[in-house]
Amino acid sequence: MSLSAYIPIVGLLALGAAFALFSVSIAPIVGPRRYNRAKLDAYECGIEPSPQPVGGGRFPVKFYLTAMLFIVFDIEIIFLYPWAVSFNKLALFGFVEMVLFIATVFVAYAYVWRRGGLDWD
Amino acid sequence: MSPVLALVPLAEESVPAETFQLPQIDYAALAPMLILFGVACVGILVEAAFRRFPRARIQLPLALLGALAALVVVIMTAGKRTITAGGAITIDGPALFLQGSILVLGIVALLLIGERTLERGGAFVAQAAVTANTEADRSQAATSEGASEVFPLSMFALGGMMLFSTANDLLTMFVALEVFSLPLYLLCALARRRRLLSQEAALKYFLLGSFASAFFLFGVAMIYGFAGRVDFSGIDQAVVGSAASPLLLYIGLALLVIGLLFKAAAVPFHVWTPDVYQGAPTPITALMAACTKVAAFGGLLRVLYVAFGRSQWDFQPVIGTVAVLTMIVGAVLAVTQTDIKRLLAYSSIANAGYLLIGVVALNKEGLSSSLFYLVAYGFTVLAAFGVVTLVRDADGEATHLSRWAGLGRRSPLLAGVFTFILLAFAGIPLTSGFTAKFGVFAAGVEGGQTWLVIAGVVSSAILAFPYLRVVVLMWLSEPSESTPAVSIPGALTSAALMIGTVATLVLGVVPTVLLPIATRAAEFIR
Amino acid sequence: MLAATSSLDQFSHDPWWLVLIKIVGVFAFLVVMTLFTIWYERRVVGRMQVRPGPNRNGPFGLLQSLADGIKLAFKEEVIPKTADKVVYFFAPVISAVCAFTAFAVIPLGPVVSMFGHHTPLQLTDVPVAVLLILACSSMGVYGVVLAGWASGSTYPLLGGLRSSAQMISYEVAMGLSIVAVFMTAGSMSTSDIVASQANGSQAQFFGLTFTMPSWYALLLFPSFLIYFVSAVGETNRAPFDLPEAESELVGGFHTEYSSFKFAMFFLAEYINMVTVSALCTTLFLGGWRAPAPITTFWAGANSGWWPMLWFTIKVLLLLFVFIWLRGTLPRLRYDQFMRFGWKVLIPVNLVWIVALAGLRTLQNSGLESQIKTYIMVGTVLVIAAVWVLWPAKEKPTAASGVEGIDPGGRVGGAGGFPVPPLDLEVPPSPRAPRLSVDREPVPAGTVAGDQSATEQEGR
Repeated sequence: MSLSAYIPIVGLLALGAAFALFSVSIAPIVGPRRYNRAKLDAYECGIEPSPQPVGGGRFPVKFYLTAMLFIVFDIEIIFLYPWAVSFNKLALFGFVEMVLFIATVFVAYAYVWRRGGLDWD
Repeated sequence: MSPVLALVPLAEESVPAETFQLPQIDYAALAPMLILFGVACVGILVEAAFRRFPRARIQLPLALLGALAALVVVIMTAGKRTITAGGAITIDGPALFLQGSILVLGIVALLLIGERTLERGGAFVAQAAVTANTEADRSQAATSEGASEVFPLSMFALGGMMLFSTANDLLTMFVALEVFSLPLYLLCALARRRRLLSQEAALKYFLLGSFASAFFLFGVAMIYGFAGRVDFSGIDQAVVGSAASPLLLYIGLALLVIGLLFKAAAVPFHVWTPDVYQGAPTPITALMAACTKVAAFGGLLRVLYVAFGRSQWDFQPVIGTVAVLTMIVGAVLAVTQTDIKRLLAYSSIANAGYLLIGVVALNKEGLSSSLFYLVAYGFTVLAAFGVVTLVRDADGEATHLSRWAGLGRRSPLLAGVFTFILLAFAGIPLTSGFTAKFGVFAAGVEGGQTWLVIAGVVSSAILAFPYLRVVVLMWLSEPSESTPAVSIPGALTSAALMIGTVATLVLGVVPTVLLPIATRAAEFIR
Repeated sequence: MLAATSSLDQFSHDPWWLVLIKIVGVFAFLVVMTLFTIWYERRVVGRMQVRPGPNRNGPFGLLQSLADGIKLAFKEEVIPKTADKVVYFFAPVISAVCAFTAFAVIPLGPVVSMFGHHTPLQLTDVPVAVLLILACSSMGVYGVVLAGWASGSTYPLLGGLRSSAQMISYEVAMGLSIVAVFMTAGSMSTSDIVASQANGSQAQFFGLTFTMPSWYALLLFPSFLIYFVSAVGETNRAPFDLPEAESELVGGFHTEYSSFKFAMFFLAEYINMVTVSALCTTLFLGGWRAPAPITTFWAGANSGWWPMLWFTIKVLLLLFVFIWLRGTLPRLRYDQFMRFGWKVLIPVNLVWIVALAGLRTLQNSGLESQIKTYIMVGTVLVIAAVWVLWPAKEKPTAASGVEGIDPGGRVGGAGGFPVPPLDLEVPPSPRAPRLSVDREPVPAGTVAGDQSATEQEGR
């Protein structure tokens, strides 16, 4: 299995990128241009737009928490995939080890759940 | 068009392939670490299960029992010499000795952490995320129960330290480094009083610690480039046999050692130490000063003795220079300190220098004396920080030295204990400090590092001055209005203090209770 | 014999011109599918709402989406002055590129003869093919987040944040749901997964031999269900279309986008729908293989170019379900949606994986079937006992949702929001009798033009 099987992926990526870049660049040229100052304001349903979006760049901490939880579970998934692919070869040993691993992550998950880390309010 | 039968998956196909080798795992040898991590996980489940019940009441016995069980297993398997878990972990003499000392010191530190009588909720805050110096912060400092997560976190840290000192390859070592560092970063931020200082300490420790981890990781990459292996015996063979450029080895070793010396708090990688020791909750400072030091030097000893022992001519002068710098800078800066926690921090830096003499000696005496030193120093420093937790006023601990003036008149017993501890730090005979220092100095002379020993003696003389100044301050000054009352220690702190002091005395008077064990253990296996 | 097997090696042997043809082919397939799906969606939703949907441009209105696309190209492009120009420019490109690339490893059919070459009807396949698709969908999040951030405006920023949180949350569920497929197929390459669904395996339960269904959708039904639900969340489709919730966020992350940049997001969303449907077909519905009744009376159904037809039909059926959901279900509230993802999908998924792995390990072990049965029944009994004896969950006081109304008529305790009583009787409108008299019933389907369906955002 050589790397040449990956080349078509790059080819499709290049074609997609060329198409997207072309259409995005061509649009302002073919479209009309009628200046109006009000059009260039940020759209906030007709009211005076706020100078800085969402309270000066501070986001609710929930989003960071979600991102961190995502990392934890994404890493779990990354460990699960190779295990799943060679599941039949690993037999009982693999099963026991993976149950331990999942249980460990589950401990953290239970903690986060009980401490309200998964609640959006 | 027949269906292809060869593609039928599942049960039929599942012959265990011969090419796949399951790693041999010696569960008995790993049991102490497994117990610690298991107990830490159970601790987290306890955190999750009980919302209102005072969780600390479950957590402390759980943690202590877990650590005790692990200690029992370590003692039971004392004769074990094996490399297990697919070559990732070595259980040999130094490993078992270090594991045992981490556990013993960890148990004493847990006693300090579990103390709740000095202050409601202990030395820890409930919600570290509350903005410092706000009304909410003040009210939680006064009334809230402390965070009980400190126990699982400490258990994770202790388990990581044990893994760190038994790791047999650089990657396991890196994982262990992170496992014991991350809980410590968190624990540093949990001080009940002086929240800003605590948060600053945690952030500083975290940032600098991340840098050190990155250095370590770069070093691992370089060494891998040089040796093509990450396990210690493979590196050991490559040091003499590899055709790769030795430049890779030098750069890799330098980066690796920087990462390790950071954790060991050696000059010039020591700058975090005073701030972190001062800002962290004092029981956590004790944990770091005792156990982290054991783990860091355990890792350093293993890396230098097992993996790079044969290139000793390349690194001995450099580490020797670091040792001299560490001893002198630690001692000189200790003289100028006015805060007892910072003073102890600089003293711990200087002690890292003395330990480095044993490391650089690179002989059996060096190893055994370093092991002995780690235990002796650990007990003394635990007792020292235990005393610090007791001297307090309405705002918490009174750590400024001027506040300690006349303490000997107010509470002679405690001042006496602290005097004894300081004398041990100074290396006065009949204390463990003397026997430990004597051991590493003798090993240094044996290993041909006399210049280091001279620097060590000089620095000891300098370092005696700040210790004696505190002694003089306590006994010969009149107590003033601002001299704080000494709290009556709870049972846990009393126990910790007693263990620390008695161990300091016993190891000074009859060092033979521990020295033969250290000597017997001082043999790495590859 | 151009049979079902396609080992990974044959993908490295295509001549360059064949690769080019395939690339253009996949690209064209995606663009055509997008145009078709937009029309399809509007027609289907139209029918569900008892109106005809677009029917003016071309036969059955098929050219409607093409006309819309061309119209979009000639619209004025408005870039808000607070926008970060560079990022604003590249965000739609990132979205579109990621959407296109993900389709590279989808198998459309078996080995066919193309200009004298025997080649699989698939652009390429690699050992980590499914991972590539997941990677592309994760990278697609960047397009959405950067678009929201670069617009320099409140609604897009909130939409982008919500969208990123939503997509990464449901990506976890999605990633976990396909673990069972890898476990069963023993591979992550798409063509192998299709091949492994060719025939059902034999399994023994209680001494009897059963032929298990070949499609993983049936064999691994929980995985299939979770995959589909999280695919809806992942593509921001109704009822999970919170990032673009019109009633809350105007248009979400693309509020400030217009002209062809908007069209790129639109395109990316529909390609993503096609891709997740295609992946679902590949992983769970037997890929390009004809379903069982067809193969019994037509042996050639799985060779030549015919499989592409089966594949397309399966994808269109899945797309129909997407549209059906949109036509039927109201939008979820954000907290309900996140709670569902994190507290239901993920734990269920993990438990299911462990259960399946345990079952497989038991099957593969050398134990006697009697003992196997005992272990299985015992495990089920233990789980059932735990389930029954599990202590009743304590109700948190600050529960969100209407159930938690306190006696004072407020949601979330005494300090919460007041809500009207649920049994409130709405008084009849004074105009009601007059209206019913004035208005004559209009038979459905007779309104020409159908204004409501021709707006730019047909969703």
